[in-house]
Amino acid sequence: MSSLRVGWLFLRMGVINELQYRVNFFVQLLQSLIQVGTALVMLELVYSHTNALNGWTQPELLSLIGVQVLLGGFIHTFIQPNMQQLMQDVQQGTLDYALTKPEDAQLLISVRMVRIWQVVEIVSGVILLFVGLAGVENSIGVGDAIAFGIALLIGGVLVYCFWLVMTTGAFWVVRMENVLELFEGIYQTGRWPVTVYPGWLRYSVTFLVPIGFAVTVPAEALTSRLQWPTLVFALGFGCAAFAFTRWFWHFGLRHYSGASA
Amino acid sequence: MPDPVVHVAELTKIYKVPEREAGLRAAAKALFKRQTRDVRAVEAISFDIGPGEIVGFLGPNGAGKTTTLKMLAGLLYPTSGEARVLGHIPSKREREYLRRMTMVMGNRNQLQWDIPALDSFELNRAIYRLQRDDYLAMRDELVELLDVGDLVRKPVRNLSLGERMKVEIVGALLHRPQVLFLDEPTIGLDVTMQKRIRTFIDEYNRRHGATVLLTSHYMADVEALCKRVIVIHHGRILFDGALAALADEFAAYKTIGVVLENGGAPLDAYGEVVLNEGDRVSIRVPKAETSRVAARLLAEHEVLDLTIEEPPIEDVIESVFAQPAAQ
Repeated sequence: MSSLRVGWLFLRMGVINELQYRVNFFVQLLQSLIQVGTALVMLELVYSHTNALNGWTQPELLSLIGVQVLLGGFIHTFIQPNMQQLMQDVQQGTLDYALTKPEDAQLLISVRMVRIWQVVEIVSGVILLFVGLAGVENSIGVGDAIAFGIALLIGGVLVYCFWLVMTTGAFWVVRMENVLELFEGIYQTGRWPVTVYPGWLRYSVTFLVPIGFAVTVPAEALTSRLQWPTLVFALGFGCAAFAFTRWFWHFGLRHYSGASA
Repeated sequence: MPDPVVHVAELTKIYKVPEREAGLRAAAKALFKRQTRDVRAVEAISFDIGPGEIVGFLGPNGAGKTTTLKMLAGLLYPTSGEARVLGHIPSKREREYLRRMTMVMGNRNQLQWDIPALDSFELNRAIYRLQRDDYLAMRDELVELLDVGDLVRKPVRNLSLGERMKVEIVGALLHRPQVLFLDEPTIGLDVTMQKRIRTFIDEYNRRHGATVLLTSHYMADVEALCKRVIVIHHGRILFDGALAALADEFAAYKTIGVVLENGGAPLDAYGEVVLNEGDRVSIRVPKAETSRVAARLLAEHEVLDLTIEEPPIEDVIESVFAQPAAQ
């Protein structure tokens, strides 16, 4: 409970910090508009040639893109700034202060930063999602909605785990930025359902970089494609990934040497 | 003797650092095969610190002071040996331990840069689970002791270095820690501010009975605060004892000051004359010969006054640091 309070206070402070930089809001707005615009143009282009892509209609795919943008916004708002800060702290040895606090260090390093203006991206994701869903023929049941919520949560956890494991690598390999930039590139594959990709790529973006789980599975839930066993499997995978991440983080901490001795 | 607050036995830290020749070729080679070298930052050091002691930790840059402090604060895993603080093993980073200690590093800040310190204090209050009344009482006490006043309401980035340090210290002590690890708390501060911080540490130690382990390059800090010093050099302990005894052990010379009745007599034969002002003369003599030279002076001249002085502590430390690494 108290840990939640710590998380909340950090969030609040991050927001206060960021509100000072209003220009970021407009920059972010523009960026989101461009992002959404290009996605829509691409979608139009593809569906001017076909009615369904691997069984996905245009409105369904629009919802999927909505999920992808939404989750991307979540990453940019909460995950990425914290991981970048962590990387910097490991490089410069400034992680010390987080480690001398009587609070779970993983929690502290995960909630310290928030780029509140990136919320614009989350909002545009939600809009795309609703516009897409409005065009979908089958109605969405309560079960679908719940499954969507669970799947999205698992997706968020998986992406967080992926980032933290990668960033923890900074304890050994001091410069990890490039690896994380690679993620941005790979994340764009999430704009299409993972099922359109050939086998090896499908497995990579499902298990190695968990974009398949994070984007496709929630979108499947909304479009009544999701099989319950998949959701259960995703849940198990999410828990396992979280446990592994926690272990790996502690393992990495042992190798922290605090840049300046 | 009461149980020591800090107990260190045979504590060792070895860093593995990558090493390669300069140049492109070596850099390319290092891509595939990393050569590492062991750096023995701290080597089998042992000491105990009792409750309420203020101990100065002295040594040149790279001696192993910060590494030791960081091991005691639970930031670094020792390679071998034992460290215990307040009965806890620091590297386990148990909350009960972390709640009772603090670490202040003069060259780093933990307060959020863009917002007033008060907001950062609130965060610490949540992290340390402090009751509102306790927190407010302690905050006000510290604010008063350090004469911080309204500085806590300004964004930290608008504070001067000295002001920031004071505010940092308030933030680091809100939870009434019983053990303080202070790494160069006065670095870069002007003399007045150094004095202020020094007085504060002394006062905090007295009021709360806290144990303090302090590193500083300013001997004035050490002289004012620490009865006991531990000198560390090349990762090993060279000296552990009273500050006054340090000079006895390491000073190579003493200074004999004499006031002569008839004045002006040449005293070069007794030692190196460092001051000659009429009838007042200071002579530097090797430590071992001090009493012999003093006796000769008394026997051979009309001496009105004679003093024997230890060299300034800076000079003593310098001669300690000049020692080569023990093999």
